[in-house]
Amino acid sequence: MIRLIINRIFATILVLIGVSFVVFAALHFSPGDVARTILGLGATEERVQALRQELGLDRPLLIQYWDWMMALLRGDLGRSISLGVPVSEVIFDKIWASLLLMGASFFLTVSFGLLFAALSGGYHRSLMDRLITLLMLLLASLPPFWLGIVLLIIFGLKLRIFPISGVGAMADDATLYVVAMHLILPAVTTAASSLAVVARVTRSAFIDEMGEPYVQAARARGLSQRRIISIETMRNVLPSFVTIAGLQIGFLFSSALFSEIVFNWPGIGLQLYLGIVQRDFPVVQGCVLAIAIVFVVGNLLADILSIALDPRRRG
Amino acid sequence: MRLISILSNSKAYELLRTLQRDKSAWTGLWLLIVFGIIVLFAPIIAPYGPNEAIPSLRLAPPGTPGHLLGLDHQGRDILSRIIHGTRLTVITAVTPVVIGALVALPLGLLAAWYERLGVLILRTMDVLFAFPMALLAILVTSSLGAGIINLLISLVIVLLPYYVRIVHQAAASQKALPYIEALRVSGTPVRTILFVELLPNVAPAAIVYGATVLGSIVVTAAGLSFLGLGVQPPLAEWGVMISEGRNVIFIAPHVAALPGAALTLFVIACNLLGDGIRDALDPRARATLSYQANLSK
Repeated sequence: MIRLIINRIFATILVLIGVSFVVFAALHFSPGDVARTILGLGATEERVQALRQELGLDRPLLIQYWDWMMALLRGDLGRSISLGVPVSEVIFDKIWASLLLMGASFFLTVSFGLLFAALSGGYHRSLMDRLITLLMLLLASLPPFWLGIVLLIIFGLKLRIFPISGVGAMADDATLYVVAMHLILPAVTTAASSLAVVARVTRSAFIDEMGEPYVQAARARGLSQRRIISIETMRNVLPSFVTIAGLQIGFLFSSALFSEIVFNWPGIGLQLYLGIVQRDFPVVQGCVLAIAIVFVVGNLLADILSIALDPRRRG
Repeated sequence: MRLISILSNSKAYELLRTLQRDKSAWTGLWLLIVFGIIVLFAPIIAPYGPNEAIPSLRLAPPGTPGHLLGLDHQGRDILSRIIHGTRLTVITAVTPVVIGALVALPLGLLAAWYERLGVLILRTMDVLFAFPMALLAILVTSSLGAGIINLLISLVIVLLPYYVRIVHQAAASQKALPYIEALRVSGTPVRTILFVELLPNVAPAAIVYGATVLGSIVVTAAGLSFLGLGVQPPLAEWGVMISEGRNVIFIAPHVAALPGAALTLFVIACNLLGDGIRDALDPRARATLSYQANLSK
């Protein structure tokens, strides 16, 4: 098992190097002058020239990448055009709000995903199974940027239950209650489609398990359906549940991006959007890199967990 | 007559028959056909032009006489814009799904045939896998610049790793079969083996994947336009319409809500059909079904 995990970690490091190259190259493959792209359209010709010198744009691409990478390892991601502060500062400032939203969304995804899966897969072909399957189809099909707007209209504007902007959640004096109230709508928006995918895949796993002889044996011993679902089959469903839940991390990031924008949630996604709108390329680059790193590391953790949970791979 | 017999024996026909028995997949297929008709005949169906504005009726709610779904912030008929918008929304999603498959087929075949090249191709794809879908698309469009063509390019890049992996898997499993060995021994050129013999056997895997992924690509494409990175206003496209409507949700929530409802309906149709196709072609799912059918007898 240890060897398998070490292999995964090694592969992850290689992928991260590739990721950093893609993010670096995105800037250099963009049409037009790189220095002008970095400084934005408002910069004077002298400043553009100066930056071109500084970046060494006349040198081979790989050497430029090496320098950029070394700076990156020191935590230097360049300076934001619109904010005038180092990009790394911007990211460390915003990443906590994003991690909080991601954590809450991931919690919703796994808890409700498993609950719906057990309720529908454990009672295959019941009315409840049908209703949940229908609900999951709807949830899986909702575009996050639209779901966010609809929730905002219903619960924020009409019913006035939840606040309509997430900014207040990160205030220094925000109590747990205030943070939770701000968090609910963005987290539901982010989790919706992932939750549905997790529920659907795990439901199939439950249905497969329900046909196994050991379940019939348990039934013959007189165990209740509830006990069979929550204890007997759960253990065998867990590995595929963990795998699919881990795969959702990427989708959660994509959806979180949109819900941060819709709910004005002060995280990396909103910062990325502002970077795009203001043509602040260093910020876009930094945010993309930060999200990709968190994503890759998250996948690694999910992978290790599923190796640890599956006796066949434990070795 | 011969054509009919070929059609009725072909795999596609068989698939269609299987789908017909699957009520939800059949519903999805019909919904998509309706959307297809709207795409073809949008200007005839729509009561107004996409940018025809009646400023005096700005933000009028749904049910306004002559304007079933109301009007937007510029006084344009929302129903007409949704109908016209079907075109760009569907095209920006279907095009990359088709082109992605066309690019991935040769890449995946070469990767399966030449193992060293395969390692290079697959590792490159692994790097692309490391980005969440929407994020990679954002990175590409924000570096190439906003616009429809760049939106299509970015979506092809987003799809490529998934497609290549699937084509590679299918080709690698075919490669081990005796008929390929026989071709190789008989001195058939690699070109012929790959693109005449192997291609027809791996293409279905790519097509099925394309059918199942269409729903999420529609959402990603509309999402990029929502962010201002894809289709640009004043063109009618659902993502653009939701984004424009966002500015007036306090006074006229219907402007953002209605195009999104159309988008959701389209994605539901894609997912219904995609799931049906996957179930119909996945032998394991089919085995489970027949197993259950036997149990219930």
